[in-house]
Amino acid sequence: MTLLSVQDLAVQAGALSLVDGVSLDVAPGEVVALVGESGSGKSLTALSIMGLLAEGLTVTGGRVDYDGTDLTALPEDRLRALRGADLAMIFQEPVSSLNPLVPVGRQVAESLVVHDRASEAEAAEAAIEMLRRVGIPEPARRATQLPTELSGGMCQRVMIAAALISRPRLLIADEPTTALDVTIQAQILTLMADLAADAGTAVLLITHDMGVVAELAGRVCVMYGGRVVEQGPVDPLFAAPRHPYTRMLLRTIPRLDEPTKGELFAIRGNVPSPKNWPEGCRFRTRCDRASDACTARPALIKGDHRVACFHPVEDPE
Amino acid sequence: METAAPRSIRLSALLTWWPAWLLLALTAAAILAPWIAPLDPDRQNLLARLKAPGFEARGATYWLGSDELGRDILSRLIYGARVSLSVAVLSVLLSGLVGVAVGMAAGYLRGWTETILMRLVDIFLSIPAILLAIITVAVLGPGFVNVILVLALTRWPRYARVAYGQTLAIADRPFVTLARAMGASPLRVLALHILPNIIGPLLVVATLEFGLMVLFEAGLSFLGLGVQPPTASWGSMLSTGRNYVGSAWWIATFPGIALFLLVLSANLIGDRLVDRIGKGR
Repeated sequence: MTLLSVQDLAVQAGALSLVDGVSLDVAPGEVVALVGESGSGKSLTALSIMGLLAEGLTVTGGRVDYDGTDLTALPEDRLRALRGADLAMIFQEPVSSLNPLVPVGRQVAESLVVHDRASEAEAAEAAIEMLRRVGIPEPARRATQLPTELSGGMCQRVMIAAALISRPRLLIADEPTTALDVTIQAQILTLMADLAADAGTAVLLITHDMGVVAELAGRVCVMYGGRVVEQGPVDPLFAAPRHPYTRMLLRTIPRLDEPTKGELFAIRGNVPSPKNWPEGCRFRTRCDRASDACTARPALIKGDHRVACFHPVEDPE
Repeated sequence: METAAPRSIRLSALLTWWPAWLLLALTAAAILAPWIAPLDPDRQNLLARLKAPGFEARGATYWLGSDELGRDILSRLIYGARVSLSVAVLSVLLSGLVGVAVGMAAGYLRGWTETILMRLVDIFLSIPAILLAIITVAVLGPGFVNVILVLALTRWPRYARVAYGQTLAIADRPFVTLARAMGASPLRVLALHILPNIIGPLLVVATLEFGLMVLFEAGLSFLGLGVQPPTASWGSMLSTGRNYVGSAWWIATFPGIALFLLVLSANLIGDRLVDRIGKGR
């Protein structure tokens, strides 16, 4: 039973393909991590699920099944009824993601008010309770303050409170800690995961932090160049990554238990821009296992642990 | 010495905002006209025609002189302020309402709505405003309500332009996307999340437009297309005073000074707001 099932999703800006055939599933209550470098199409995938793509970007193919309904075919007003109530989202920049002129308490209560789930007074009450639950001291006083009076970490807690107050069934968190101090990142993520678990909310966590993935996610979906290259349960995928890209990505993380001598590992080359994506496998220009076969598009092999590669790593060292 | 510093600060604050006080005083005079006007503005006294300021007749003093029908200039000035201010306020409100709605809709909905609305704005902006106003009044006929309608019709594109640009800038901000992710409707996003964030520059435009509206109303009245006689209006006073400039300078001079001060104070307030809020117009 899946809650959300994205199939062959394609997003284009005019004729330029940005997301090309992304498929992923999220089961109720599950935490799925969507991993990849900047520009790999993670955020666009998330925004397509919410139906919030910016002007000029369109979903040109595939479907987004939520609870058996294709969201990409849903009229705007029915999609709006789901947003905030069933589907919630958290953004990267906590401070600029909050309206600078509205007290944070009212912003936390927004989804309750929008969906007529509570009266203004009840919503205000619930917002204060929610602020308390995300660990904001003196929530009643803080609720009356503006985002500019709060720190970045506080603002991120506020956004988490706003997203979870309606107990949504799916929370999409787009790099929720990237803009925060390293010292509080883990704290915020744990908080988010705990509250989501309490509410039975499934989480699609977008990140490029592998440590976060290992700790929180049940399954991982690795994206490169607008496509999913590897997907599977977190433990086998981390223990034995099969796609050369995933393997290199994991090798870029410096390890404390294996002291590296000299330089840190880096994947050679840069992420090509969507205009310069190569034919076939998009990683082949940076891959050390590439062959002529790679000029054709590799399919995502079916199974629990899927990989889209003609030369997958069979035996991890 | 110690108390002198704060007092001088307070005094300088009072002085820097003198345009606001002047505007407030004029508004008060307009509202309280029936109680503070020394004489009936429409009462003619043919024995006291074209008398110089300070003239006294039958126990009444014409502090600013009398006009060609023996009416008191000061009283007509005070009553005329009612016309100037109410036309300016109402036309600013009406054109602001229409312009902001159009501009925000174009800036937020984008696509075809944007193209059609903003081209309409361009068309309106390419027509000389005062000319359009004159033609429209000539067709609709003069009068208080028509003057307001005409001024609103010619001036809304200014607000639309500013509201459009500001909405475009704000609509891309993450908090607008977050509000949409919360399920807020376009109307809610526009009214609650975008409007409060763009109201500053719009207020600046409204203040500057206010001064312009006062001038336009006076211009229309001067041409006989505004508020009709015998209702006192600064524009029509200027118009009749023009015929007597050589013999009775006070008829045209005082409404001229009043107009000058009102428009100047509105513009100065606008400039102050620009300084405070930044980038307007």
